[in-house]
Amino acid sequence: MATPGFAGRILLVNLTKKEIGELDSARYEPFGGGHGTAAAIFWELCVAPGGWDLQDAFDPRNAVALMTGPLAGTGLSYAGRTSVSGMSPQSWPVNWFCHSNFGGSFAPMLKLAGWDGVVVVGRADAPVYINIVDDRVTLEDARELWGLTTWKAQEEIWRRTSVHYGREWQELGQGQTLQRPAIVTIGPAGENMTRVAALVHGGGSGAGQGGFGGVFGSKNLKAVAVLGTGTVKVADPKAVRDSREWWETRWPVSAEFPGPAGIVHSSCMGCRGRNCHNRNTAYGRDSDNCAEAGWYAVAPPAKPTPQDVQLRSADIVQQLGLNAMETCFMGPMAFPVPPDFPVQPSVPAYTALGWYLKKMYDLGVIGPGTKFDTSPLPMQDYERGEFADIYGLAIANRIGIGDLLAEGTVRFAEKLGRLPEDFDTLLRLTAWGYQDHWSMPAVEWCYGNLMDARDINNHDMSLGPKPGLECADFVKILAAGTARNDPFWFDYSWQGERAYQTGIYSEAKARFVAWRQHYATYYKESALFCDWAFSNLYNRNSPDGRGYTPEAEPRFLNAVTGRNHTFEDGLEIGRRAWNMKRAIFVMQGRHRKMEKFAGYTYRPGASYCGFALELPVFDGSRWDWVNCRELYLEDRGVEQWKTHFYNTEGWDPATGYPQRRTLEELELKPVADTLQSAGRLGSPP
Amino acid sequence: MAGKTKTDKTGVSRREFMTGGGAALAGGALAGGALGIPLPAEGAQKPGAYPLSTGYLVYDSRRCSGCQSCMLTCSLVHDGEAGASSSRIQIARNVFDPYPQDIQIFVCRQCPEPLCVKNCPTGACHVSAENGQVRMIAADRCIGCKTCIDSCPFVPHRTVFRVSAGKATKCDLCADTPYFSKKGGPAGSQACVEVCPSGALRLVRELPPQKDNAGYDRDLTAPAVKS
Repeated sequence: MATPGFAGRILLVNLTKKEIGELDSARYEPFGGGHGTAAAIFWELCVAPGGWDLQDAFDPRNAVALMTGPLAGTGLSYAGRTSVSGMSPQSWPVNWFCHSNFGGSFAPMLKLAGWDGVVVVGRADAPVYINIVDDRVTLEDARELWGLTTWKAQEEIWRRTSVHYGREWQELGQGQTLQRPAIVTIGPAGENMTRVAALVHGGGSGAGQGGFGGVFGSKNLKAVAVLGTGTVKVADPKAVRDSREWWETRWPVSAEFPGPAGIVHSSCMGCRGRNCHNRNTAYGRDSDNCAEAGWYAVAPPAKPTPQDVQLRSADIVQQLGLNAMETCFMGPMAFPVPPDFPVQPSVPAYTALGWYLKKMYDLGVIGPGTKFDTSPLPMQDYERGEFADIYGLAIANRIGIGDLLAEGTVRFAEKLGRLPEDFDTLLRLTAWGYQDHWSMPAVEWCYGNLMDARDINNHDMSLGPKPGLECADFVKILAAGTARNDPFWFDYSWQGERAYQTGIYSEAKARFVAWRQHYATYYKESALFCDWAFSNLYNRNSPDGRGYTPEAEPRFLNAVTGRNHTFEDGLEIGRRAWNMKRAIFVMQGRHRKMEKFAGYTYRPGASYCGFALELPVFDGSRWDWVNCRELYLEDRGVEQWKTHFYNTEGWDPATGYPQRRTLEELELKPVADTLQSAGRLGSPP
Repeated sequence: MAGKTKTDKTGVSRREFMTGGGAALAGGALAGGALGIPLPAEGAQKPGAYPLSTGYLVYDSRRCSGCQSCMLTCSLVHDGEAGASSSRIQIARNVFDPYPQDIQIFVCRQCPEPLCVKNCPTGACHVSAENGQVRMIAADRCIGCKTCIDSCPFVPHRTVFRVSAGKATKCDLCADTPYFSKKGGPAGSQACVEVCPSGALRLVRELPPQKDNAGYDRDLTAPAVKS
């Protein structure tokens, strides 16, 4: 019998063989659900059997997993996201095993249908979509859906069932329902196997990072539709409801994503009110109010792109199924450059594809007189809204220069012959080719990017000055929230010996990053708590400043599962899944020598972004907030930090390979055996 | 995936009979006849045959965020399991429909003349004097005949059939909630109202106007007035 919160089954679809099977999800519970479980399944299906080099995400053998967490569909808030995992075509230079996730109602609906996840391997010989109605799973012909936008595809799937969803009770599956199927689909960007293609669910819930839309396209998989009429069993129903009330009462929601006046917000299923979406704007139906809404922002804030143009552009991104953060222009990170800023005065914080394209045009690298024809893009109309339409269509359909742009920013730059030089100046990308995302000066973000496979996109550290609070007291609150109580985890000293002793190159910082990766791997990517709410070490709405981490997470999970896990138990699950990921990375070729930041990271100007620049710093005697906007890294320090980090994780500091002892204490002995057979097991300490 | 659409004896579907969440009929009143369309069920009751409920769930479909927390919480506190199909309040959402039609909310109206109660052959569906005259179904007396479901004049019907239990249920304003740690019912708390993050649900004491749906789907911007 499955643990409460879990349905007990994971759907396994082989599109090549047209086989529909299932996996027992109880086997994977030590990995927590979601991304952790997907990593374990990926290891079993793709790595352990051997026989391929794990380099091409478009290989039919790539297993892409849509996974739920134990809290999905229980009514608990900020906990119903769908995890997406698999080898990622966007990652560079290796298509690392990667993850993304999206909100909406897909995960709760999948759970209500009796499934913890869907794993897809193989490639269909013609376009299909997977249709799930409770126990009944079918492969449906999607040839007539191919070429449709993400929105049209969903409406067409609803239409072809001839059911009046939401109007009359329907007898479907094992029950009755008024709900319509939850659908995640790709648009033309995915069908054409671009590396910047998202999965889109509803109007604007999307999984962009990783380029999993292209993986769907490579498999001839247009969509997955699910309708569930069942229930999610929980261990303690009263505790589930009461824990939500406890949380909402003790830590009231503050105004979030208020957006322009007059917007009526909407939320993912179960959300207590983050209000990331909207219902009533003229454009942008249900579009996310974050990245997509600012996708087409081409002018500095002093001359903002008109809102209606931005919202209509947001629709383009959603409908074509494009990764907004990768393909945006100046995007949501388009902060003004202070006039006294030392370097890169013409480079925004976010150098995404739309901006970089224009920069290359202005520099004469592409366009008239070069070997790179920019057609069909009307570059002279770059600042007109119509440009966004053509730009999006060109990428999604690989038309003209869109074929190069469809490879993503880093590969576009590579094709232009601009690497590695542009990494020092014009391209603020992570080591694996993702857009940097205010990862400095709060360096745990950029370190996480380096050790994971993508922009980790963790927004949970609020480190700036707090009214009425001394800095020393603030770091104590943060340290208590981690349950490890080391205030030096939050020392952002970045110059001199202090940086090496307790600051950004210290062992303390390595331990903090390890903690954060373990936390995120379990709580955010496997249990699927929403990044907008978790973790929460400090909370301005609480009388003592304490956030709800580490209390809320185990309280919610235990109410659902009845397992009585501690917060530390969860971190250990995260560490197990994180090490499983590490083993996959290593089998894909990851090595200490590869884990190097892009050039700009080591240069003045690396930390530019518009806010969150004041960080706690310990000067040897006292704590204070210091503006760290000029923080950049030095190679010697990063190498020291890496050694600390590998040692903290139980990985060989010479190679970055996990050591047998580490894997065995996590009950991953077969993984250690496989690594050893491949000559990639870390040497003993 | 094939769905079944229920039709009444005349062959007119519920959807054809009434659109917009019960715009024409109110609890078996004869408004439908005035519109020249068939009545929902035989034997509409004369006003006053049943004591009025002392509480009514009203909502503001323009404020709703579509999170469906109310649904999952409803089933949780009543049944101990979270579900959409078993929820006594239904939020149907189509993000591609224009605002405000993108969200439809369906709640039991606690009809003044409840046909579900009148037509129940076992008395399971009853007006509960112990619980503020709320219309509710006693599970131990329900035989799963679906008469209450067929009797409900609204589209979609507000009585709910729990397939797993083989019994019907309906909104009782949380009177019978074994998994709710608070006292429910018209005089107590309603789990859906409490969990709603948008202030889009509210309990009111006075019978809403029954002429159309406006009495239930109302502007809740103004603060609640305690009665």
